[in-house]
Amino acid sequence: MSETVTITLNGREVEADPKKPLIAACHEHGEAVPHYCYHPGLTPVGSCRICQVQVKQGEAPPRTVAACRTPVAAGMVVDTEAAPAHEARRQCLEFLLKNHPLDCPICDKAGECTLQDYAFQEGQGKGRSVEPRRKLPKRKDLGEVILLDNERCILCSRCVRFMEEVPKTPQLCIAGRGSHSTVETWNDQPLTGNYQGNLADVCPVGALTLRKFRFQARVWNLLKVASTCPGCSRGCAVTVEVLRHGALKRVRPRHEPAVNGWWMCDQGRFGFEDANRPDRLAGGALRSQSGGWEAVPTDAALETTRDMFAVHGEARIVASPFVTVEEGRELAALAKTIGCRPVFVSPPPNEWADDLLHTGDPAPNRRGLSELGFEALPPDEILARVGEVEVVLLVGERVADLIGREAVAALPEALRVILMDEALVDSPAVDVAIGVPNYIERTGTWINVDGHAGRLNPARPAPPQTWTLVRSLDYLHTLLHTEPQGARR
Amino acid sequence: MVIVKRKTLSLAERLYLPEVVRGLSITFRKLFQPKITRQYPEDPLPTTSVTRGQPRLVVKDDGNIACVSCGLCEAACPAYAITIDGHETDRSIEREPEEFQIDMLRCILCGFCEEACPKDAIFMSNELELADTTRSALVYDLERLKRPAAALAERMDYIKRINKRWQTSSST
Amino acid sequence: MNDLLILLIKASVIYGGLLGTAALMTLAERKFSAWMQYRIGPNRVGPFGLLQPLADGVKFIFKEEVVPDGANPWLFRMAPMMAAVPAMLTVAVVPFAGGDIVLFGQNFGQLSITDLDIGVLFMLAIGGLGVYGVILGGWSSNSKYSLLGGLRASAQMISYELSLILVVLSIVAMSGTLDLRGIVAEQTGTWLLLPAWNVFQQPLAFVLFVIATFAETNRHPFDFAECEPELVGGFHTEYSSMKFALFFLGEYCAMVVMACLTTVLFLGGPEVPYWADAPWFLQLVAFMVKAGIFLFLFIWVRWTLPRFRFDQLMHLGWKVFLPLALANLFLTGLLVSF
Repeated sequence: MSETVTITLNGREVEADPKKPLIAACHEHGEAVPHYCYHPGLTPVGSCRICQVQVKQGEAPPRTVAACRTPVAAGMVVDTEAAPAHEARRQCLEFLLKNHPLDCPICDKAGECTLQDYAFQEGQGKGRSVEPRRKLPKRKDLGEVILLDNERCILCSRCVRFMEEVPKTPQLCIAGRGSHSTVETWNDQPLTGNYQGNLADVCPVGALTLRKFRFQARVWNLLKVASTCPGCSRGCAVTVEVLRHGALKRVRPRHEPAVNGWWMCDQGRFGFEDANRPDRLAGGALRSQSGGWEAVPTDAALETTRDMFAVHGEARIVASPFVTVEEGRELAALAKTIGCRPVFVSPPPNEWADDLLHTGDPAPNRRGLSELGFEALPPDEILARVGEVEVVLLVGERVADLIGREAVAALPEALRVILMDEALVDSPAVDVAIGVPNYIERTGTWINVDGHAGRLNPARPAPPQTWTLVRSLDYLHTLLHTEPQGARR
Repeated sequence: MVIVKRKTLSLAERLYLPEVVRGLSITFRKLFQPKITRQYPEDPLPTTSVTRGQPRLVVKDDGNIACVSCGLCEAACPAYAITIDGHETDRSIEREPEEFQIDMLRCILCGFCEEACPKDAIFMSNELELADTTRSALVYDLERLKRPAAALAERMDYIKRINKRWQTSSST
Repeated sequence: MNDLLILLIKASVIYGGLLGTAALMTLAERKFSAWMQYRIGPNRVGPFGLLQPLADGVKFIFKEEVVPDGANPWLFRMAPMMAAVPAMLTVAVVPFAGGDIVLFGQNFGQLSITDLDIGVLFMLAIGGLGVYGVILGGWSSNSKYSLLGGLRASAQMISYELSLILVVLSIVAMSGTLDLRGIVAEQTGTWLLLPAWNVFQQPLAFVLFVIATFAETNRHPFDFAECEPELVGGFHTEYSSMKFALFFLGEYCAMVVMACLTTVLFLGGPEVPYWADAPWFLQLVAFMVKAGIFLFLFIWVRWTLPRFRFDQLMHLGWKVFLPLALANLFLTGLLVSF
């Protein structure tokens, strides 16, 4: 804990960190100071001047200063709402809006745009300028992730600083002078790297937008739920945002200093197609005599599973690395009852590993499951091992995907395969299929590579009649302790 | 305190029968009064620009829909009757509605959507009749909501006039 | 042609007429009320809405039959019949026209189903049974509103029946017979240049009788058995479908019968004024016109006067009508004796 000094903020005596700018102290103590160019994760530059506050130090008369470029000093008397500061901010806002197009009905940022909020708060409904607004490219291609609207840009340079400071791959600059300044890439080359998506987050207005989210939803219609990124074993804290009927539309990083700071990689940000897959399995399904599938309630499917465990001999339990700690505990207890060591699928590392966030390991709960005593096995090793037994239980979302759907489909028919996954693998090899909720439909905990617990929270209901995995496993465990006649009352 | 003075009744009034006859004579005369009933389906009430009928979307004279699917009507709707999905278009306006649904069973014809619209794209038409045999048929989609600007011109003029008056009368 | 067949033909004609008039009255009620309120009234079914009663009937038939929980099912089903049947029975003795009817060379006798020596007594006795339907319906519904409606109806009908009978007794005293045709015959000719009708000879009795009929048939302003603002629907709150329709029918039949009775007792029955031996069809028309005036009066009063209070009704019945009727009977007795 660093040393703090005492300052007077709007008449209150508060403790502030002298290593941080004044605006951080204001925000920390609940004073709303508007800011566009300031971002807590980036170097402050003081280019937008909207964060001006009045500061009185010592005997000198009070001055209006930019709060993001003023370090905290002992004995400061800060007034964020002083009339000169307020007037200075209002004039800054008027200049910022001078060339800002009236795009709000179309702009994807509308609703979470601080420029819009502050303009609305100040309530100056009309511009005084009679000059026409700047005409600039509205749809500039900045690579596969980002589109740039130059008219909306207020030249805060957050994006430039982000590229320089976080992925340390400077690719953006502000070119031109005066009102001809624009954000550009060198020679109009497309942006590269795995962290471009953050540009849309840092942009305070709607100038930098994500191609994948462009016109997908109005942000106030999105239900925002704190969750954890399933992309790699880093487990970045994220907010998943779902539209009506539960379609996952956007994933954004959530501030978590111990894991990811303010950022996340594009692999995690755009890797959510799986959550919107249309072929979800609701409830249970049994393979019928004719070879088709017969939909049954989850408990009936679990009773059939119990019968398979009871009738056949050696069994194996294979978990998905997406299984949470809570589910892993149930699974470990179940494995103990049927007498086997549980394993989980450990897919090979991918090429996205970097020294910033991505670990290259696509198993989000590797550490949690390992600590519960699960054995990590690569898919081909798992396939080799299940060939030796009679019953195998494949558990957890994406377990079939990670082993390989073809490989699961090609398992020998003599083997009894119980698949507890999001979707069906339509193959004679699979005998029982039970639907499970995916990571935006359940609660749970994933332990990331550093031992940090990331929480999952439900953002939408699971498909109808689908039980949580904990409930299914608990029911199955109870059935295994019960006599078969006793179960059928 | 209110003091009610009762009228002292005359003998005729206390006998009651003359008063009954008086009442009967009044109703008898009313039998022959001209009738004020309107025969609705054949003889509907005339609509004016003030009539707040069902909301409709403006199709501009160039054939394009005026709506940019900004979602403000959706947000303003107190009955949650509106659902909009936008998509990108090549026009300079960049976005237009892909699907625009108004659940007419929920719509309360309040006109908030018309008031919220920043693009003069939705107006309360003079269409009032709403009947069908299924609920789903009363969820109007984009095609059923589109109306040429000429059909809504009277209402559009009226709203513009009212807005102007409102803007000038309130000082900023 | 044998007598039985003739009787059957006459009965079906008269009952058809009665039920048709009752049905028409439901339409007339709505039409007149509409006109008094500047409205048009039903005009969609048939020309001028003339088929509206038919449409109402069809609707009643297709409505769900509801028997409330805890209701006495037998009495609940019997009550509507008890209400409708007495009202219909009494029409049997009404003389609609004097003189023999000869049609297609066949003599049908006089236009009434039967002529009883004690016609007046029969009408009052059978008509008085109608209260059973109301009170049984109210009691068997297992509903407090119905019960209160039934109780009020019985108290009211019994109170006014007393005055009604005393008034009729003065007429009987004048004509010296209980036979309705005898009473009609008594009123033929002229009296002080007017037709010798009892309405002129007994004006007080006439007023008392007409008002008492309103109370007797549960019509406005004395419809305490229904009394919507206080008792929801009164004795028929729990009734639906054709059972409700029967109550309705009973009420309108009672109105028609009371109008006929008033005509016979006070307006010389089928007599055409100043033309004692008019042909039978003219007499029938005269009868219908006279009864029609009273039927219109029923509707007219309903849409003009507000409802009484129940205590006012009882006050009027026992403290005004009963003494007046007694005095009237006493005076008539004196006049007849001397």
